[in-house]
Amino acid sequence: MIKAILVFNNHGKPRLSKFYQYYPEDIQHQIIRETFHLVSKRDDNVCNFLEGGTLIGGSDYRLIYRHYATLYFVFCVDSSESELGILDLIQVFVETLDKCFENVCELDLIFHVDKVHYILSELVMGGMVLETNMTEIITRIEEQNKLEKQEAGISAAPARAVSAMKEMNIPQKIKDIKLPDLPSIGNLKF
Amino acid sequence: MPTVKGDGMRGLAVFISDIRNCKSKEAEIKRINKELANIRSKFKGDKTLDGYQKKKYVCKLLFIFLLGHDIDFGHMEAVNLLSSNKYTEKQIGYLFISVLVGASSDLMKLVIQSIKNDLVSRNPIHINLALHCMANVGSREMADSVGGDIPKLLTSGETIDSVKQIAGLTLLRLQRSSPEMIPLGEWTSRIIHLLNDQHMGVVTSATSLIEALVRKNPDEYKSCVSLAVSRLSRIVTASYTDLQDYTYYFVPAPWLSVKLLRLLQNYPPPEDPSVRTRLTECLETILNKAQEPPKSKKVQHSNAKNAVLFEAINLIIHMDSDPNLLVRACNQLGQFLQHKETNLRYLALESMCLLATSEFSHEAVKKHQDTVITALKTERDVSVRQRAVDLLYAMCDRSNAEEIVGEMLEYLESADYSIREEMVLKVAILAEKYAVDYTWYVDVILNLIRIAGDYVSEEVWYRVIQIVINRDDVQGYAAKTVFEALQAPACHENMVKVGGYILGEFGNLIAGDPRSSPLVQFQLLHSKYHLCSPNTRGLLLSTYIKFINLFPEIKASIQEILGSDNNLRNPDVELQQRCIEYLQLSTVASPDVLVGLHNITLLLFRSLAKLKKKKPTATAEGGEEKEKEPRTIPQAQVNNAEPSAPVPLQVSVGLPIGRSTARNRRLSVNLKMICSLMPPLPSFFFFFFLMKFEAYLFFYLTIIFLISRFFCKQNGVLFENDLLQIGIKAEYRQNLARVGVFFGNKTTFQFTNFTSNLVLPDSIKSGMYKNRGCILCKCFKIWCQSGQMQKLNLKLPVIISKFLEPAEMNSEAFFTRWKALSQPDQECQKIFKAQFPQDTEQVKQKVLGFGLSILQGIDPNPDNFVSSAILHTRNQQVGCLVRLEPNKQMQMYRLTIRSTKPEISKALGDLLETQF
Repeated sequence: MIKAILVFNNHGKPRLSKFYQYYPEDIQHQIIRETFHLVSKRDDNVCNFLEGGTLIGGSDYRLIYRHYATLYFVFCVDSSESELGILDLIQVFVETLDKCFENVCELDLIFHVDKVHYILSELVMGGMVLETNMTEIITRIEEQNKLEKQEAGISAAPARAVSAMKEMNIPQKIKDIKLPDLPSIGNLKF
Repeated sequence: MPTVKGDGMRGLAVFISDIRNCKSKEAEIKRINKELANIRSKFKGDKTLDGYQKKKYVCKLLFIFLLGHDIDFGHMEAVNLLSSNKYTEKQIGYLFISVLVGASSDLMKLVIQSIKNDLVSRNPIHINLALHCMANVGSREMADSVGGDIPKLLTSGETIDSVKQIAGLTLLRLQRSSPEMIPLGEWTSRIIHLLNDQHMGVVTSATSLIEALVRKNPDEYKSCVSLAVSRLSRIVTASYTDLQDYTYYFVPAPWLSVKLLRLLQNYPPPEDPSVRTRLTECLETILNKAQEPPKSKKVQHSNAKNAVLFEAINLIIHMDSDPNLLVRACNQLGQFLQHKETNLRYLALESMCLLATSEFSHEAVKKHQDTVITALKTERDVSVRQRAVDLLYAMCDRSNAEEIVGEMLEYLESADYSIREEMVLKVAILAEKYAVDYTWYVDVILNLIRIAGDYVSEEVWYRVIQIVINRDDVQGYAAKTVFEALQAPACHENMVKVGGYILGEFGNLIAGDPRSSPLVQFQLLHSKYHLCSPNTRGLLLSTYIKFINLFPEIKASIQEILGSDNNLRNPDVELQQRCIEYLQLSTVASPDVLVGLHNITLLLFRSLAKLKKKKPTATAEGGEEKEKEPRTIPQAQVNNAEPSAPVPLQVSVGLPIGRSTARNRRLSVNLKMICSLMPPLPSFFFFFFLMKFEAYLFFYLTIIFLISRFFCKQNGVLFENDLLQIGIKAEYRQNLARVGVFFGNKTTFQFTNFTSNLVLPDSIKSGMYKNRGCILCKCFKIWCQSGQMQKLNLKLPVIISKFLEPAEMNSEAFFTRWKALSQPDQECQKIFKAQFPQDTEQVKQKVLGFGLSILQGIDPNPDNFVSSAILHTRNQQVGCLVRLEPNKQMQMYRLTIRSTKPEISKALGDLLETQF
């Protein structure tokens, strides 16, 4: 079973955290920090498996991770999962993100936390692998998008118009955002 | 290409950008607090928010949470979103719940209600959302209230595939959290048949579910084996185009194959020959494919292929029945051991560990020993090195033990700190298990202590001592080696401990050599003494007393050390006590006592070793303790009610020393009460304690304690052992007494079930003394140690004399009364020999402490004591007159007591007699 899925960047800033077993919030944050310390000190060409930190259950659990450009994707699993299988699952997850966001980068994960969660929930549910077929996953995401657009089209339009009026200078604001030079992770390591 | 970019929620984007532009942590927190306040006011405000706004704010909260801030509101709004008709709003509501709301939350009832509604929705996409939420929260409450519908949803023909797929995993999750909530009896066969489903996604989720169910109830699901095998066979032999989308980088359905192979690992090899053949074919095909040239250069291809391969190998190892397959698997792993992918090397080492345990492949694994050793030395990744250590441990047997242990010892010098302790333990176990020559074993352990002393646990060095004691052939060698090891300028404390112990026992075996003469041995050990912890020092002190026995010629130097100020007044009570006791022992005891003592230590250690064979944690310290105890046995009445183990120990130990001490002198060293070396008192004053430690092994005798010490004083320690100290503080006034009993926990643990119970004799309650001797309270106490109830009976020193009040009177009044009490039964006269020096001042203190006055000028002889006192009870007061006449030439006393009550005279006479 997968106990937790964590995504954080090279500086340990969490970008996605999903726990399939209940932990109090402060412990969740501690686990992310601990995991970052365990993973970040490892060289890039060592193996992708290591024993879990003390908070998450020690040596009964294994951390399986991949490092893409600026982001670490870490899955914490118990002994019932195949290590290489999980490694492939991370790959599927990233490829799916890449297809949904078109050349995904860290910023996409930041600005679309909810979407990332939806994509993840098509892959993994309650700690179990749900679907591994990328085409299938993307079909489902597309369906969701369609629904969203429909609903937005019907009723959210006025609200959006109002908020757009209120914040006339937003386009300018968005232009002002300093985007760090992030390499697109989609192009790497596939 | 689908895109999810560029829609909705500007406010969210702006907020996120703001946060990202914050220059400092403080600025970020400020911005977040501002936003939280904004959201809070929006939620609380009168204006009803539309779905879009709620969604936006909930998203913001999610983001803030991800940044590491606690979110303490918004839950209700998220729950409200669940009842929305709009998919997107529902979705974000469920997302919030599954990220931020725990199973124990108060809101769960509302959430469950929403789930119930969504489950019966016509829209499958709503059903899926509800199932997702159930799977992510997975509480008992949910299983109880809505779990019952899931099996139906899963197996019904009308359910669409995507819902089935999710329902399978939801059911699995609920089964895990509360298995008894959803009985699956009637659904069993339908669930198993999901393995035949057309949709691969459904099969994957069903396989996960079945695997979990099989673990609980293998027999009920036995028929899944043949279905799983045929499914696997269809996948493995399919060309990759057949499975369309479930082919991952040219590997057909790797996840499902892995799952199926895992499922089969729950059962023994199939009995049905046709199924069995089919499975063997599958496994062979998988092994064959591994040899084919890769269809793609991408790492994903080899990853997926190897994931299946490793799982197949695990299944082969699990079945452990086909030597051919096992050897092939082993060869395959051997190839991986030198693969350039670190991941594969890691997994190969791990799987080989399992292979090494099978009798068919053990020899095949051993062929790779050199490669593994190279891996241990050259691998850059500590997790891989650790696997290499594990594998070396698993492949070790008598034939290669020496080499492997040697390599591991060598590696230990440079090993990572994180794996040292584990390695030390492994080396110690291997060395002991496969030792042909015990001198080699001793060398290995001493090397371990030398290289990684900090990581050598007590178990390890206790064990080496046990083995040395039990094997006569290595004792001399061990003494020599340890002596040499101790000569190193800096040696580890554990080495000193082992050295102290072994030299104390077997130092005589090397004493013939002038380079290791007794004095040299002693000086060598003592040179380490000051650098050691109190624990080790205690052990060294025991070694010294053993030296006195082994080498009488150095007795004087040892006594000098024992008697040094530094030791006799050591702030550490244990050390101080040992020094005083050992010093005393060395002066009062004749050589044969010490020989007896020595033998007992050995005997105890041997029996300990035998008893503890299975559990290598026999404590040498335990032996240390016992060595002291036998000295007290002759005076304790042993009524050992414990069966089995302790009895033989006690018999073999108790007798020899009993005889020798009795012959020698009355040696009464009260171990824990060293301050008073009193001569023995009549045996009825002795209580003793029998305490059980680990019921079968440790028994613990501590003598007790002399109530008589309280005759002349009010406060003191009543009882003390390693666990507990009981102190008494008492006040007496006329017929009233206040006795405080203080319990002190000397351990570092908490006592559980600690109770105390006071049983008072009638005489105290009624205020009348009926019994003639002491009025004694019994105090029962019970406590629990190592899961064992222990009961301790103690008498409280509340005696009749405590109720005496001194009375003053002049000579005339005294003699008037003295004469008035002239009936023979009113007088009690005792003539007895002095037990203590007849020092007038001390006797005076005792008389006063006993509660009597000292009347001056009544007896013409100043050495004689004349006293009077009134004994208070509730109903009456009894006058007592006492005369005590010492005879210093004869060292005798004459004690005469007169009182109106004959029994009082007698009782006081009995009590006082023991005090002078």
